[in-house]
Amino acid sequence: MKPFKYLSIAIFCCILTSCYSVRFRNVNGAPQPDPFSDRDDYYRGMAVVEFDTVISIKVSSEDFTYLIKEKEACESGKLNIIEYRNTFGGVLLSAITFGRKRKVKVKYVCEKPTN
Amino acid sequence: MATTKSKFLKEWNTLHKNGPFPLKILYQTKLEGERAMPKKLDRYNDAAKEIQRLIKETHVAGDGFRAYGSAWSMNNIASHKDRMHYNGFMNISLPINASDCHANSNYDSSNLFLFECGTTIKEVSEILAENGKSLKTSGASNGQTLAGCISTGVHGSALDVGSVQDYVVGLNLIIGSNDDDIVYIERDSKPVLSNEFVNKLNARIIRDDDLFHAAMVGLGGFGFIHGIVIEAEPIFLLKRYVKKISKTTAYELAETMDFENASFTIPEETNSNGKGNRPYHYKIFINQYSNDPDCVVELMYKKPYVEPYPDPFPVIKESLYRDLIFLFVKLAENLPKSIPWLVKRLRNTILPKVDDQTTGMLKEIFWDAPYQGPAFACSFGIDHKDGPKAMELLGKLTRDEGPIPGIFAMRFVKQSQGTIAFTKFPITCMLEIDGVLWKETRKIMSLKKFSKRMIEVLKENNIPFTLHWGKNSDWAFPELVEHMYGDHANKWIAQRKSLLSEDMYELFSNKFLKTTGLAP
Repeated sequence: MKPFKYLSIAIFCCILTSCYSVRFRNVNGAPQPDPFSDRDDYYRGMAVVEFDTVISIKVSSEDFTYLIKEKEACESGKLNIIEYRNTFGGVLLSAITFGRKRKVKVKYVCEKPTN
Repeated sequence: MATTKSKFLKEWNTLHKNGPFPLKILYQTKLEGERAMPKKLDRYNDAAKEIQRLIKETHVAGDGFRAYGSAWSMNNIASHKDRMHYNGFMNISLPINASDCHANSNYDSSNLFLFECGTTIKEVSEILAENGKSLKTSGASNGQTLAGCISTGVHGSALDVGSVQDYVVGLNLIIGSNDDDIVYIERDSKPVLSNEFVNKLNARIIRDDDLFHAAMVGLGGFGFIHGIVIEAEPIFLLKRYVKKISKTTAYELAETMDFENASFTIPEETNSNGKGNRPYHYKIFINQYSNDPDCVVELMYKKPYVEPYPDPFPVIKESLYRDLIFLFVKLAENLPKSIPWLVKRLRNTILPKVDDQTTGMLKEIFWDAPYQGPAFACSFGIDHKDGPKAMELLGKLTRDEGPIPGIFAMRFVKQSQGTIAFTKFPITCMLEIDGVLWKETRKIMSLKKFSKRMIEVLKENNIPFTLHWGKNSDWAFPELVEHMYGDHANKWIAQRKSLLSEDMYELFSNKFLKTTGLAP
């Protein structure tokens, strides 16, 4: 019973420590607002774009680049805040697939358009 | 053409969740793109037409209308139960050239700029910095829109400068849907813009000191503020110090504002006789639950802009864990006696770091304040000479009848010319308590009751006061506005009536104005 208990605690600790977010924010520029949003987190009142997907890349590819494009939720096409989240599942998926499948969980807010 | 998106809603809330307040329709207008309409003035005038269309639509439906910006006000001043307009995307900026100025203008045209209503303080500051200029002052942060700031009297602690509205020199208002309902108001005694330039805004010119002073802090009741002409100044640096000094000394400075003869000096900030220099900004933090004879003060001194200066920003900025704030609120609601202990534990997060020194532009010192959950703030304007006495009275109230999950601060602001500006004393001490928003329980009184008790205590002790228009209070307190402003409130009402037609007077009146007795 005891080894199982220790294993459970170790797995729980791994899950906790491998789950974290890192946020980058521009010192200049204002985030694009969204008055219709009712979020209640750090991004309250902002137009947030979220994506949570698994990307498959070729064995020969070292990395990948996700392009931020102009759209309604990102009128300027320029970043103001970006946050990525690392999860235990994501780390595990990348390890099992030798990096060919990568979980991407990102939130970003674009610059408010200037006039 | 500028385009408007509308959404049918049942309620609306402020950024800090001080509502919800009822609402039927929320509008959001975006300007025509630069590719289709390259000239800024054309886009500006095109947006004015769109706002007039929305006002007409609202009027035909028999509804009321109110514009808002960043929703930073902590009461219902920015709300209307019928239709509201989000103006954050209306952020055109135009420098004013010497040729655009009135022949009798005494302003340096290089300091004059026209900003559209939805431009935030941060955006304004960045545009000014690109031109080697700065705002004279701002609030403690930068997310408010310029129109929102002046409508509610947003202030910092610039004791010889004033509030945001005090550097506004012209207002472009939309007061209806007719052709002559776009007006430009400025002081008759201090004209700014030439008639030719105002004509380019398709606006009717009104040069009238009394009307301008009433509209300066208009509480959203003088129509739709479309454009604001401000007077900036050459860019400068602020050197900020955080010190721990005796409460007696801090209060003495608050009462006298005599920094030259004070026992407390900062060695780097003294004149050739060793006397203290007058700071640009002075703020006192008071933890009313602490018996510490000392308190934390923040002072800032104005310096010429020189490069390089130390980077005022940390590389990493941490914020308090949201669940910890939630836990704080729950503890405060159910075990209010734990509040002083909790405040003490969180002092390093709530108060600035003692002996900290920072140098930066105004826009860097008063930078972003990220949303950290529901919050409250009650703020009284008091003659600075009464500041310490009022602080002790309200501190005692908070201890005896609370505790309340917040701490006090005192800031100091020069008198405003605004008819009902709450900074009405020669130097107004803004005595404020900020904290996390809580719900009333059997063990802790409601925010409204706490606000009411603070008003009662100041009245019982014959301390004249005003209230920050954008913050929490018991706004239905009987004859509150008359008590605070006397005949000035009637003058403000009369100016509003003189500007607006009967229909538009009703259309631009909201529950806040009716509760306070400023509208029938």
